[in-house]
Amino acid sequence: MTALQKLRAALAGFPRLALWIIAGFLFLGLFGPWLVPHDPLKQNLLAAGQGPGLTHLLGTDHLGRDTFSRLIAAANTSLVGITLVLGIALVIGIGLGTLAGYLRGWAEESIMRVTDVGLAMPSLIIALAMIGIFGTGYWNMVIALALAWWPSFCRVSRGVAVGVMNKPHIEALRVMGASPARIFFIHLLPTTTGSVLVYATADAGGLALSIATLSFLGLGIQPPTPEWGQMLVDSLPYLEGDPRQVILPGLALTLVVVAFNFLGESIALNRVPRPLGRRILARRRAEAAAWDTPPAGLVTGEKA
Amino acid sequence: MLGYVISRFRNAIILLVLASMLCFGLVVSAPGNVAVLIAELRTPGATFAQIEEIEEELGLNDPLPLRYWHWLSGVPDGDFGISYKTGEEVGAAMARRLTVTATLLGGAAAFACLLSLALGFLGALRPHGVVDGLTRVGALLGASTPQFFLGAMLIYGFALKLGWFPTFGDDDGLRSYILPWITLGMLPGCVLSRLVRVGLEEEMTRPFALTARAKGLPRNAILFRDAMPNVAPAWLTAFGAQCTAMTVGSVVVEPLFAWPGVGAMFLQGVQFRDFMVVQAGLLIFISFFILLNLAVDIVVMLLDPKLRRQGGR
Amino acid sequence: MTPVYELRDLTVDLFTRSAAVRVVDGVSLSVTAGECLAIVGESGSGKTVMSFAPIGLMPEGVSVGLTGGAQLAATDLIAGGEAALARLRGRDVAVIFQDPMTALNPARRIGSQIAEVCTLHLGLKGHAAQARALDLMRLVGISDPEARMRQYPHELSGGLCQRVVIAMAIAAEPKLLIADEPTTALDVTVQAQILDLLRDLRVRLGMAMILITHDIGVVANAADRVAVMYAGRLAEVGPVDQVLRASTHPYTSALIDAIPRPDDPVGSPFRGLPGMPPHLAGPIRGCAFAPRCPSATPACSELRPPMRGIAGGADWQAACHHLTLSAVPKEAAA
Repeated sequence: MTALQKLRAALAGFPRLALWIIAGFLFLGLFGPWLVPHDPLKQNLLAAGQGPGLTHLLGTDHLGRDTFSRLIAAANTSLVGITLVLGIALVIGIGLGTLAGYLRGWAEESIMRVTDVGLAMPSLIIALAMIGIFGTGYWNMVIALALAWWPSFCRVSRGVAVGVMNKPHIEALRVMGASPARIFFIHLLPTTTGSVLVYATADAGGLALSIATLSFLGLGIQPPTPEWGQMLVDSLPYLEGDPRQVILPGLALTLVVVAFNFLGESIALNRVPRPLGRRILARRRAEAAAWDTPPAGLVTGEKA
Repeated sequence: MLGYVISRFRNAIILLVLASMLCFGLVVSAPGNVAVLIAELRTPGATFAQIEEIEEELGLNDPLPLRYWHWLSGVPDGDFGISYKTGEEVGAAMARRLTVTATLLGGAAAFACLLSLALGFLGALRPHGVVDGLTRVGALLGASTPQFFLGAMLIYGFALKLGWFPTFGDDDGLRSYILPWITLGMLPGCVLSRLVRVGLEEEMTRPFALTARAKGLPRNAILFRDAMPNVAPAWLTAFGAQCTAMTVGSVVVEPLFAWPGVGAMFLQGVQFRDFMVVQAGLLIFISFFILLNLAVDIVVMLLDPKLRRQGGR
Repeated sequence: MTPVYELRDLTVDLFTRSAAVRVVDGVSLSVTAGECLAIVGESGSGKTVMSFAPIGLMPEGVSVGLTGGAQLAATDLIAGGEAALARLRGRDVAVIFQDPMTALNPARRIGSQIAEVCTLHLGLKGHAAQARALDLMRLVGISDPEARMRQYPHELSGGLCQRVVIAMAIAAEPKLLIADEPTTALDVTVQAQILDLLRDLRVRLGMAMILITHDIGVVANAADRVAVMYAGRLAEVGPVDQVLRASTHPYTSALIDAIPRPDDPVGSPFRGLPGMPPHLAGPIRGCAFAPRCPSATPACSELRPPMRGIAGGADWQAACHHLTLSAVPKEAAA
């Protein structure tokens, strides 16, 4: 199968709407900055507070900046933020978790204890505390969120690692003389990484929410860099007069989170079979009816 | 059973101690010199001598374990230090705000509990039916909407436009509680409802559900009397987790509705890098999480007949 | 005697996203009051689906197609619809299951689970239901029922759990009891007790019983008549003595032959059957057993053999073309 066919097969079981929304988010996040009609940072107080129109498709905010461009630019901000946080958290989480599952013993114990402490606390509290101590700023936010997010990745990868280590083929590899490094990097790590990546995709929505929440509180992405949560809080004082500037970023954020959550839910929900649709049912019924069923009633008293 | 409870208590106390060390460690690792901040607070343009005086006074030159002990021994008295921003006693300020936050959390938790049970159960009555589809879409939306956005929209629609509720404050009696409760409880309620819905569907595939059908019980009765009790432990554990998430939500909801609670104070502490406030808030939050987990563990154990007799895992 | 339960040319199809599967193919049989009919077959032969599908006990979300006739007492099971079936379940027909430990709800007390049936079908409330539950527990041989009532399933042994399931099943004195491998999950000594209990109850209550099993020993012990199933079709049906001693269908003979005998020399190979049962996701031409049958002829793969009476009666029948060759049984039945 070609690469494209493989990709389509892998994505087959998932809701298409969610996939399209995420694709849109990725597209805008990557190419948005080049596609915006206006400069998202450019203020124009004379044009402040406008409604939707020809020049400004979705109107302007209280500083005269084009809302449409800012919304798109904010997608880029979110995407970069999510990628950075996930990147760091995944490296730490998968690394530690796989190590824990591989080494067992006291190494596993100590790593999992730390993970448990991290898991017992909601992610934002850790991030908030760290920002409160070390200050705001882009990298402070990224590191704080990454530190809040790695424990769940660690737990998942350790679980997978333990499962893999218990399989007979690992024993066989050891007997054949495979080095520990080989077992770890070639056999263990790809499996744990795969499982955690699936989990992380489902969790990405929560991360987008956290970044937006921190920005809403003034502790995340600082102005003038556009970010949906931050755009919302900026426009909050003008809620009564110009609710549009609050609604639009909120909707954009909700849409992206819905798509990720929908995706995550369909990953989890493929367990209990759903009843067949009418068309498929009719097709199967017709198929079975076409088979010959010879009469098999009670036949009495026949002899050769 | 008693053994289980005692061992859980012991764990909780150990965790509390560890948490206090974490809080303390976080603050002492902060960059910058606290003494400078306080000196500036008291007398702008402070001299080095004044700063050194403050360092002695706060015990900043003592070894770490001693400083930890000084701080910790103040905690039972409610002495959490002085806010670097306002100069008032942190402990007293927090105490005043505890009831406000408790009201917010209590109502929101109750709302989330009822919402999750209602949505999940309604959907499970006829799986893959119309009601199920609607509740699932609703729950998905509710679980994906940021709390600050929901709050802003509720304020706009019901407070500003319709005028049914006050736009902010907690001093208008029950009316002023409704919007904050819904804002804070909606997301956890929707997340939990999915757990209820999936859990019920899975329990209905178990052998005892087949036995119940063979007995001639109608489906709704099976759902309510046979499936629900088996979903309860998982739901309760998740409910505990959502309650801890709601305390974080209070940091967003309290400022939005101008409620003078612990979350709002904590947020100010973070925004102004008021270390004593951050430390105190963190300790209060973490202690709440630990105690909540303890309570949930014990209740789950009591609910499970196997564990109740054995006395825990 | 009019049969309590009768299947006439019953066919059960299961529909999945990718295929249609014919799990039961044109089966006709009947059970009269007080009689125990055993249904024997290997896994996948359709014996469980044949008994569960007509009363609507297929798993949730599974799409089923039922054709033919099925009747319980005077009620048409196929035309009735789910509501009618729900009324029958527990009251006129009851089921006991293979694994008693999982058949009971682990989160509820035993007494409550039994009393529930009494409330539902006998209209008893509160104390009256509890008292009836106690009576039922004594009837099935559970000692110290007052204490047992308040216990949970995990505190009971497998045999005791099965007795509880039986108590729930007979609470409303059903006309038909379907026992799906009731002793497979139990120790051998407990097996005998449970089978005796079932026979005892059957006589006392005048119930008809369908006993699904793969164990020929259980058939010999507990059943009056036996039906042998293969690939969703009936191979042979008749009185236990006759079928087990002088079976005419090659599959039945092979089944019985496969049972190790005390006089087999140590180290002798198992007398198993080569090959696999056919896939049920498509039409089967001719006799389903032909590919594995030692006495198969080309005609066997062409035409499906109808059920023919043996030795002149309607009581004992088999579906095999070669009955015509040896219409007289191997040993004359007494």
